[in-house]
Amino acid sequence: MEIAKNMDLYKKLEILSDAAKYDVACTSSGIDRKGSGKGMGNCTAAGICHSFSADGRCIALLKILFTNECVFDCKYCVNRSSNDVERAAFTPDEVCRLTIEFYRRNYIEGLFLSSGILKSPSYTMELLYQTLYKLRHEYHFEGYIHVKAIPGAPQELIEKTGFLADRMSVNLELPTAESLRRLAPHKTRKKILAPMRQVQLSRKEHKNELMLFKNAPQFVPAGQSTQMIIGATPENDYQILSVAESLYQKFELKRVFYSAFVQVNQDAELPALPGGPPLLREHRLYQADWLLRFYGFGAGELLSEKRPNFNVFLDPKCDWALSHLEQFPVEINRADYYTLLRVPGIGPKSAQRIIKARRISSLDFADLKRAGVVLKRAIYFITCSGRQMYPLKIEEDFILRNLMYSQSRTPAETVTYRQLSLFDDDRVFGEVPQQLLQAGV
Amino acid sequence: MVIFQCEDSVDGIFTGVYDAWDSRIGHEAVALRLREKMDLELFAEYREVETDAQKAAKVARSVRSKMGQDAYRVIYQAALSAYPEKADCIYRVIVHGMSANVTKYEAQNVIWNLQSRDVCRVFELSRKVGNEAHRYFQFVRFRELDSGVLFSEIQAENQVLPLIGEHFSDRFPNENFMIYDNGHNDCLIHGKQRPWFILRDTSPDEVAKDQLAVREEEMQELWKGFCRSISVEARENRGLQRQFWPLKFRRWMTEG
Repeated sequence: MEIAKNMDLYKKLEILSDAAKYDVACTSSGIDRKGSGKGMGNCTAAGICHSFSADGRCIALLKILFTNECVFDCKYCVNRSSNDVERAAFTPDEVCRLTIEFYRRNYIEGLFLSSGILKSPSYTMELLYQTLYKLRHEYHFEGYIHVKAIPGAPQELIEKTGFLADRMSVNLELPTAESLRRLAPHKTRKKILAPMRQVQLSRKEHKNELMLFKNAPQFVPAGQSTQMIIGATPENDYQILSVAESLYQKFELKRVFYSAFVQVNQDAELPALPGGPPLLREHRLYQADWLLRFYGFGAGELLSEKRPNFNVFLDPKCDWALSHLEQFPVEINRADYYTLLRVPGIGPKSAQRIIKARRISSLDFADLKRAGVVLKRAIYFITCSGRQMYPLKIEEDFILRNLMYSQSRTPAETVTYRQLSLFDDDRVFGEVPQQLLQAGV
Repeated sequence: MVIFQCEDSVDGIFTGVYDAWDSRIGHEAVALRLREKMDLELFAEYREVETDAQKAAKVARSVRSKMGQDAYRVIYQAALSAYPEKADCIYRVIVHGMSANVTKYEAQNVIWNLQSRDVCRVFELSRKVGNEAHRYFQFVRFRELDSGVLFSEIQAENQVLPLIGEHFSDRFPNENFMIYDNGHNDCLIHGKQRPWFILRDTSPDEVAKDQLAVREEEMQELWKGFCRSISVEARENRGLQRQFWPLKFRRWMTEG
């Protein structure tokens, strides 16, 4: 394990971006900041994705490791010390120059700096701090910076770094302490949560200070995030979502990211995934995550001990609506915002538009379509001025079949009535697939 | 029917609104068309609208004060759209919001009245233009020329330059940069520590725009290499990539 000296920049960037690619958090959101007019850069709260890689994920930040040298030996990680991979390390100046040159060509929104553990956590954190300090004060960079807080690094160092970064994150790595013990022997849950709590408390403290002094320095203004690996350990969706919920509530995180486990190492402790990474599961978790953050759902409403995993065929919101049909139909012209949000096919934007538009006159189905409501899903759950669009049964089986088979269209009236024929068959709805029967829906 | 022909610009359309209203013919009997994008109609009288910055400013001011800043933003963005009949829709919306019998509360909310066909159209146009502008926050790519100027070429459907100027000049106050929209033949120009402006019907020097700075190619190679190595092979999904990053943008981009 030699760090090659005199490696050229291209090669280094290749190795260290390749090593960072399994980190999922590439967002540049959470803070609106104008440029000061002296340096370079600003931030937009919505975040800006500048490019998209071949896997369809966004490239918003220059996502690199400072070094992929690591003293830890986590079983799932490509950079673990027992792996024989090419190792490299940047110098602080190289990172700064790359960031600035990429930024001024509008390639990126900022820097995402993570690192393997070189020598010790505090030594590594010190290097990250120095890099950020240079970037902010010598290169006058005012764009977005996301940096990792390294568990085990001294508090003062994390504190100092926090004033230079926009977002900090500590990776939870695995959903439960037990899994962590098994796959990441050098890390403990307690050690990971300590810096997370520290960042949370410092943020609170400095927010209070900001109320008193307008120009007090901001500490991690875009909040903190974390990520969990999904599918490397046997937790179910309910456990994972509950962990996420408590992170949002108890640690005030801005985001929890889920990363479908990608097999990079062969290890007896790791599961074999012949079907590739569990992408659908990851997708369902993200859908549920949005429901937690923007739709006012609780983890306990979506899943339970008895039904611990998401429905493969339906998104969590439709799934929830189908098992709570007693709350539907919802009257579009009367229902309050939070009730509207619970209707499949209506999101925060369309719900807000509905509320604004109905102040002026009542809405019908054509208006809903213009407001951006996805009618092919919403139609089963709503009425406009007391009427449904078509006479539809509010019945679990019927809605489920239609949601699944008419993915792209709203059901015509003919679906509710069937012409009797001598050659009656199931062609109207098609056969119920075996998988569905097994899943028991 | 009296048809007012106006220039395809925000000022042109607002002047058209002013003239059509001021003519006192009656809102039902007038229509607005863009000079460049219209078919002649039988049984109509045509009047030319001379673009007048003062008249346009008056319209803008009253829209702001009566219908609110949100409504102004929506109408302004819609006026940048490539839709040929935008002028008339905008006129109808403004009439809707500023008629004498409309209360202040109603006027402030006209823009959310999606039940009205014209409001809805303007709203859609505005959203499209706004979305395209955001795409160019993402996909503008600068290259450094040997003069030190950052140059970028785009091909926009709608006139997005006025919407992205503020963002880029706030971001790069110390750079000389230029964004050329070859679809409309407009240039957005920003000089170091100076305000930005747009030159209409101007194309940049063909030779100068291809003379790259010394380290430019190296940077481009680094960036392309980064885009390749950041992708996880096990998750490859070109369809998803195309959905977020349509092919039409890639032609003008470094890594495209």
